[in-house]
Amino acid sequence: MVRRRRRASKAFKITYLALVLAFLYVPIAIMIALSFNASVSRAEWTGFTLDWYRKLFHSEAIISALKVTLEVAVLATAASTVLGTLGAIGMYSMKKGWATILTNVSYLPMTTPDIVTGVSLMLMFVFMKIPLGKGTMLMAHIAFDTPYVLFSVMPRLQQMNPNLYEAALDLGCHPLKALYKVILPEVMPGVVTGALLAFTMSLDDFVISYFTSSTDQNLSMIVYSAARRGVEPTMYALSTLMFLCILMLLLVVNRRSRLEDMSN
Amino acid sequence: MVQDTRLIELKGISKSFGDTQVLHNIDLYIRKCEFITLLGPSGCGKTTLLRIIGGFEMPDEGSVLFEGADMLPVPPYKRRINTVFQKYALFSHLNVFDNIAFGLNLKEPEALGVKTRRQKKEEIARRVNRMLRLVKMEGYEKRSIDQLSGGQQQRIAIARALVNEPEVLLLDEPLGALDLKLRKEMQVELKAMQQQLGITFIYVTHDQEEALTMSDTVVVLNGGRIQQIGEPKRIYDEPKNAFVADFIGESNILSGVMKEDCLVEMLGVEFQCVDEGFGKDEPVDVVVRPEDIMIVGTDVGMLTGVVESVIFKGVHYEMMVNTGTMRWKVHSTTMQPVGSRVGMSIVPFNIHIMRKEA
Amino acid sequence: MKRSWYAAPYALWMLMFTVVPLLFVCYYAFTTKTGDFTLANITKIFDYTPVLLDSLRLALYCTVLCLLIGYPAAYFLSSKDLSRSQSLAVLILVPMWMNFLLRTYAMMTLFENNGVLNSIFEALGLPKQQIIGTEGAVLVGMVYNFLPFMILPIYTVLKKLDPRVIEAAEDLGANPFRVISRVVLPLSVPGIVSGITMVFMPAVTTFAISRLMSSGMIYLMGDMIEEYFISMNNRNVGSAMSLVMMVLILISIGLLRKADPEGQGGGLW
Repeated sequence: MVRRRRRASKAFKITYLALVLAFLYVPIAIMIALSFNASVSRAEWTGFTLDWYRKLFHSEAIISALKVTLEVAVLATAASTVLGTLGAIGMYSMKKGWATILTNVSYLPMTTPDIVTGVSLMLMFVFMKIPLGKGTMLMAHIAFDTPYVLFSVMPRLQQMNPNLYEAALDLGCHPLKALYKVILPEVMPGVVTGALLAFTMSLDDFVISYFTSSTDQNLSMIVYSAARRGVEPTMYALSTLMFLCILMLLLVVNRRSRLEDMSN
Repeated sequence: MVQDTRLIELKGISKSFGDTQVLHNIDLYIRKCEFITLLGPSGCGKTTLLRIIGGFEMPDEGSVLFEGADMLPVPPYKRRINTVFQKYALFSHLNVFDNIAFGLNLKEPEALGVKTRRQKKEEIARRVNRMLRLVKMEGYEKRSIDQLSGGQQQRIAIARALVNEPEVLLLDEPLGALDLKLRKEMQVELKAMQQQLGITFIYVTHDQEEALTMSDTVVVLNGGRIQQIGEPKRIYDEPKNAFVADFIGESNILSGVMKEDCLVEMLGVEFQCVDEGFGKDEPVDVVVRPEDIMIVGTDVGMLTGVVESVIFKGVHYEMMVNTGTMRWKVHSTTMQPVGSRVGMSIVPFNIHIMRKEA
Repeated sequence: MKRSWYAAPYALWMLMFTVVPLLFVCYYAFTTKTGDFTLANITKIFDYTPVLLDSLRLALYCTVLCLLIGYPAAYFLSSKDLSRSQSLAVLILVPMWMNFLLRTYAMMTLFENNGVLNSIFEALGLPKQQIIGTEGAVLVGMVYNFLPFMILPIYTVLKKLDPRVIEAAEDLGANPFRVISRVVLPLSVPGIVSGITMVFMPAVTTFAISRLMSSGMIYLMGDMIEEYFISMNNRNVGSAMSLVMMVLILISIGLLRKADPEGQGGGLW
């Protein structure tokens, strides 16, 4: 009796979760399928084609947007990883009052709605007469990426035995040397996770890029302007590729964090 | 053996963290080759004192001299002192060999008595292996730190510090995380190592038994103040005040009044003792160790009482005896049944008189 | 210790690109185009009261729907009798990281006049429905986008819940319903608070989702802000609107935090 009820409850749980998963994935699956559909119409399947993908790679706008996206993502990741890691190490040894202030400031980009972050940066760039393009987009991306790096390095530092740094000094290590010989290796997993997160966030961003760049477009901006014109199969192809890229990045991040869980 | 030269001298050390003062005007000297233990309950300031010697904290007031020279401006990485940290602080990204070699790798070849980089590498390997032999961990060179047990990590932490041939080794509760049996073994080994190498050990612990077993000198700290400095036996036999008496070993502490030299009155009974130099009718604290109370017949006892409880402690029985005015803790190898009336007797030598603390 | 200076470049950057820009929003919100002080920008928002109310209402519906759908999902995901629940959780959370435009785009494909849903209706002999452009479509688009943000924090909190607490409740005589209402639910409040914040905030300020799912028929506050900044080039009113939205959000976060004073809800990870 009990066992039967337990089995029924398990079946219910699985059904419910399957429905939620279906809600989340069916639209994406349909979109991926349609990217291979020969017909422009969403209503009928007229055969398999790679034409939309071919068109995608021949579109100059898309290729240049891809370049902008990657360039900004790589540079923003590099800059925010350095800034965020140093920031975390500095904050960790800061007086409590200052650290609290800085932590709260670090939460700001996360608690400010994207649209407000976007317009606020736009206002500043316009005021300072900096033309809105790749450069301003990059600065904006560094600004919202860095706290993610900081907050993935911070827990590593807090878990670290505080005596490690002192042990290095005790054994004759100069403070600067101790930083990269002991602290950096110790927080490395956090740094890598933070960098991957920053890269993902940057690749993915639309709202903030939209407001901080007008001459250069990234892929999300291309998708938006195309979507406003209506649905277009090349966009399915682009979306499919972007989805797969993010999926792969996430698998890497997830694998890493799970490996970390195991080693802890 | 302990030499008479003063290696480290602390003068008037005070230190506060925020509003709480953790050290009050500490004066202390440490002699060459001495095994000195800073003993006290948690929060007594013993670790802070150790960290000041190591260079990880700066005192608010006072000076630290090393062979007569001011040591405070010297950063920790230039002090000829090494530390075995609480919970070891081993580098988990390095293997056993590289952990021990860490300090040596930072030195110039000349400092190791060789000329080339290659010779330095060989010299390091030689010294690390000697250390591994000393701590009985040969063959573990390539192991990662996570693969070691607590006791093994402990040995590597000691080897990592000792390989640098420090003048002084600081040990911050190094055996705290080990189980009782391993702790006892390591106590013996540490003491043997210290005598073999002839290095000064400054040892921090809250375990009074550990302190008494290993040390040449014990410094009892409480509330950031030194309570007593002395050889283990002296501290045990002649605690200077009620805190030390209570903290070191078990004791019965009660108030009394000195009637005259060698005569103290407590609980309305006058006892012969051996202490002199107190004022007439001066109130004092009296300490009697539980093992110093002899159970005798009710007719010959100085005090009589009823046994309230008996616990078997392995070697002896611990009994609580109520004399109506006081509950006495008594250790004896013979058991008296609960509820029986017993007499108790104390020889004058075992009654210890202390001045009352203000 | 000098090590705290390593944070100087970071602090400077955050000041320059987070704090200062927000001060610019405040400045623009209270000045005219020529730089004189004015409250006109703020009062101008009253012209858009219906839009503001629509935004709040839709965001509220969206948050409630996400909570109703998301809580059971998080609860089931965290339950011990599902093997591979960890992988399932990852599957549910992956879309969260996917570009929201792609997700919205996928939804549009379903709901379009010539979209997948209408083709199915046609095949079944049902009349075509105009779905895009309705409030329902916008709401579904929002729920679709924000649901994982509700599930994740609740799941994180429930996963950390000590199973012995539930066993203790059962041991003390609580039936399964009581276990949930008296023990599990109160203990997961931090996750719920965090989830509500993570859904309500982007929902109330969204602009692209409403624009795309209604093909420009329904305007929310986000769309108004975009309109003022991009098309109308009136940054003062746009800033005033941004400021009001931010204050609204800060107030609601503040109210929510009262329910979870320790702020221990699972964040993004």
